[in-house]
Amino acid sequence: MDRRTVLKGLAGAGGLALTGLSAPAIAQGAAARTLRFVPQANLANFDPIWGTQYVVRNAAALVWDTLYGVDAKLQPQRQMVESEETSDDGRIWTFKLRPGLKFHDGEPVLSKDVVASLARWAARDPMGLMILAIQQELTPVDDRTFKWVLKQPFPKMLYALAKNNAPCSFIMPERIAKTDPFKQITEYVGSGPMKFAKSEWVPGAKSVFEKFADYVPRQEKASWLAGGKQILVDRVEWLVMPDPATAAAALQNGEVDWWENPIADLVPVLKKNKNISVDIGDPLGNIGSFRMNHLFAPFNDVRARRAVLMALSQEDYMRAIVGDDDALWKSLPGFFTPDTPLYSEMGGEILKGKRDFDAAKKLLAESGYSGQPVTCLVAQDQPITKAMGDVTADLLKKLGMNVDFVATDWGTVGSRRAQKTPPGQGGWNMFHTWHAGADCINPAPYTAIRANGDKAWFGWPNSPNAEKEVTAWFDAKNLDEEKAAVGRLNKAALDDVVYAPTGFFLSYTAWRKNVSGITKGPLPFFWGVSKTA
Amino acid sequence: MLSYILRRIVATLPVMAIVALFVFSLLYIAPGDPAVVIAGDQASPEDVERIRQSLGLDRPFLVQFGSWVWRILHGDLGTSIFTNLPVSTMIGQRLGPTLSLMVVTLLLTIVVAVPLGVVAAWKAGSFIDRAIMGFAVFGFSLPVFVVGYMLAYIFALELEWLPVQGYTPLNQGFWPWLENLILPAIALGCVYIALVARITRAAMLEVLQQDYIRTARAKGLGQGGILFIHALKNAAVPIVTVIGIGIALLIGGAVVTESVFAIPGLGRLTIDAILRRDYPVIQGIVLLFSFVYVLVNLMIDVTYTLVDPRIRY
Repeated sequence: MDRRTVLKGLAGAGGLALTGLSAPAIAQGAAARTLRFVPQANLANFDPIWGTQYVVRNAAALVWDTLYGVDAKLQPQRQMVESEETSDDGRIWTFKLRPGLKFHDGEPVLSKDVVASLARWAARDPMGLMILAIQQELTPVDDRTFKWVLKQPFPKMLYALAKNNAPCSFIMPERIAKTDPFKQITEYVGSGPMKFAKSEWVPGAKSVFEKFADYVPRQEKASWLAGGKQILVDRVEWLVMPDPATAAAALQNGEVDWWENPIADLVPVLKKNKNISVDIGDPLGNIGSFRMNHLFAPFNDVRARRAVLMALSQEDYMRAIVGDDDALWKSLPGFFTPDTPLYSEMGGEILKGKRDFDAAKKLLAESGYSGQPVTCLVAQDQPITKAMGDVTADLLKKLGMNVDFVATDWGTVGSRRAQKTPPGQGGWNMFHTWHAGADCINPAPYTAIRANGDKAWFGWPNSPNAEKEVTAWFDAKNLDEEKAAVGRLNKAALDDVVYAPTGFFLSYTAWRKNVSGITKGPLPFFWGVSKTA
Repeated sequence: MLSYILRRIVATLPVMAIVALFVFSLLYIAPGDPAVVIAGDQASPEDVERIRQSLGLDRPFLVQFGSWVWRILHGDLGTSIFTNLPVSTMIGQRLGPTLSLMVVTLLLTIVVAVPLGVVAAWKAGSFIDRAIMGFAVFGFSLPVFVVGYMLAYIFALELEWLPVQGYTPLNQGFWPWLENLILPAIALGCVYIALVARITRAAMLEVLQQDYIRTARAKGLGQGGILFIHALKNAAVPIVTVIGIGIALLIGGAVVTESVFAIPGLGRLTIDAILRRDYPVIQGIVLLFSFVYVLVNLMIDVTYTLVDPRIRY
């Protein structure tokens, strides 16, 4: 008899068991067929087109399938599609669906469903919008075939349909996909390998996914979002734990099986536990960033922006975020994800070597800066932005700048950064954020690198040179041309300081040793994951 | 009595109206925009604006307030901006865990704090009294989350007696339900126990000086009977008052406790809603909490008549 049993016995002796309600007996087998997972954030909504948060995308990848999926080599591979054809002039794409695809309600997946889904996705996705701008028509040909006719070629079509950046082009039944893309869907029927148990959904606490028995996986080996998505458990429970210490304790105690992103401070504790495995979760990592407002002084002058870049120490930022674990960060003299095909350091000298404060101060003085307050927005409820904000405040003070440090929460930063009013009137000079490395592998999903003035992301950088190279990448015919364009883009964006990259950092994922099949990737992949009792 | 209760219930309406106006105004002027959170980092300003329009957040303050009040009058708390679920459903999902936590904490408090206070008063000035009051100071001083972490470390991680986190509904068994609540209830109850124990001691000290207590002793009544039947009943009014007021403490403490122990209750729902600026949910919860608080005060007033027959309304 163990202590727990004794305690139960005591409670029983105290009359506590007189209610007639008994504890459920969960069979060992049933427990082993349920995978309990702690996600990075709360699944607060479940429309992957309407809400583009990563956690929604991650859950949606279980429930909805895509026409193509990107693999671990970042190449698009067929998923729901059996074959595709392109016309000689590259304007007409004809796709044929795999046979036997079914939605969770038992209905077959038809090309009309695909057409409606793509139309909804295209209205919200940056690449989708580019396709829409040159679209002539998108129509079903028969139940399994559909055609996308464009006014001009779009060489990145398959990448657009395969990419893992939110929003992904998930395929939904036509009746659901016809929902206004700016309104939320209310039915969660997909054709992916798992069904969403809506009745068990407690937003902020728990989401449950059940194996879809009629799912037909591809025959190829699974690789990220491509290949055979074999589900080896009956049920996946996502348990939201807002407190990292609680998640760590629950993993150690065996109350959960997999924790998506343990914070760096708790990783040493987990590594010491013989029942827990810890490894890098997403090899594409994240890129730290602080953005300067190009509309107002002092950062409307490129010399002021370059002065900050000259003095910026990426090591300071990275250590503030990940601590002393050198396996978790590297310096990044550029904007693109390290170890991916288009990575470039062209023009990155300004971020390399010893920091030159004297030269930076001189350049800042030349820009005309004369001590006006610099409004620096720092979200305190996000450990990453808080850490970066503290380093930035120190950096600016060392440069002799007058820092107006606005400590606030992420919700307020999100709203205030959209203000184009001067900093003293509700606007801002700089804010901190970070970008998933998966979004920075090429210019297509990389909103933050765009520098088209008013249409650019917050800070509204205007760099015709950078924009020219974005266009060159879209028009590139092969990988060499793409690499050349991205190299030039990297240099132009650094010359004009579209934003300040603060370094590249990774994070861990941790799981119990009775769980196997976990692979590294930009999102947690549940196919191929199994669990023993 | 019945007419008094009815009058008090009717009197809650203006209180609720003021709370509603206050909460709505506060949220309206607070910085932050749910559309920005929904749209995500990659969204364009145009996307954010379209989402704002679809949510009706671009309408003037009075129009938004009017439509909200109209829905409330029809018993509709609205729909969450993020989950698209009715606020009443979301509150319903979270009510059980919070109510369970509060009930267990309340019972624990009464069972532990009242006897402690009585014993401290009985042994006033002794080592036992000082030890109990020392514990009370300790309970007051430690933040809930510190107690929570300590308890989880000792009783869940080291001893493996109890789970670290989570909540099991009562219909899945009494012990599974209770084992998830023991540590959170102790953590949450520490301050409460300290408060009630101190008040009980003070009230008992005063009563124990009364002539009728001396008479009871002179008649040879046992110590237990004197303390728990005669003295405690006459000291009950301030104790009941502080137990009632303490429910506000519990509501506040539940927010932290539920986060530390990952209990899917109203406290966590409140925090999540505030961080995301999910206005309908925040408004619904604040209205609920203010209603509960008014109701608890009413129950305290009614309880007075039970413990002291001289009180009449």
